[in-house]
Amino acid sequence: MRVLLFGIIAEKAGATELTVAAASTHALKHALEQRITGLNALRYALAVDRRIVHQDQPLTGAEELALLPPFAGG
Amino acid sequence: MNEPKQHKKRDIFIEGAIPASFIAESISKHATRTDIGAHEIFLGQVRADQVQMSPSDPVMVSTTNPFMVSPSNQGRVEAIEFTAYRDMANEQMTIIREEAFARWPQMTCLHVHHSQGIIKAGELCFMVFASAPHRQQAREAVAFVTDEVKKRLPIFGKEILSDSSHLWKQNT
Repeated sequence: MRVLLFGIIAEKAGATELTVAAASTHALKHALEQRITGLNALRYALAVDRRIVHQDQPLTGAEELALLPPFAGG
Repeated sequence: MNEPKQHKKRDIFIEGAIPASFIAESISKHATRTDIGAHEIFLGQVRADQVQMSPSDPVMVSTTNPFMVSPSNQGRVEAIEFTAYRDMANEQMTIIREEAFARWPQMTCLHVHHSQGIIKAGELCFMVFASAPHRQQAREAVAFVTDEVKKRLPIFGKEILSDSSHLWKQNT
């Protein structure tokens, strides 16, 4: 499944998206923390279909996924 | 007068800084709405902050060498490069807009714009513009929307420093 990356996370990954396989949001975060050096030291949120999720939830692969570092608008 | 307001899907992002002429035009477009008695506008401007960097800070990165901190360990913000998760930001903005109209139903209209791309210190990057029959609704709505945009819209800011290193802005 495709994961969109933004800001400092895109910079650390050297890419604006990655393809990762995971059955749940927790598994996805774990897989991404293995792939992106330094991600585990950052504060970030996971968005599923453009909504931030906090609880673990299953993923089908059809969702739009994104890793969001701290917001800085305004 | 009280028909429900229709909120079409909008894109709040504009490429580059918000020119003062854009704000003047936004104001003049309301001249035909003679039920309006008050406009309230918030404008965000890129500030040339002096920043002190901590080598252990994970959000601090040197542009020239990703493993080195800025040579001087301090710098001045020359510009901010804004990027956004645009679809999510626009969806969140629609939700905030609906909340604002629910709280201030007398509000006549609300316009929000945010820059994408590189905005230099001293340039404008954010506008919240509310109009209402009376000043209190417009004032309160602008304060609310400004705060919620900063909290809830996935917009990211790379602060480009005078020594060409950069760091990532975080709203507090």
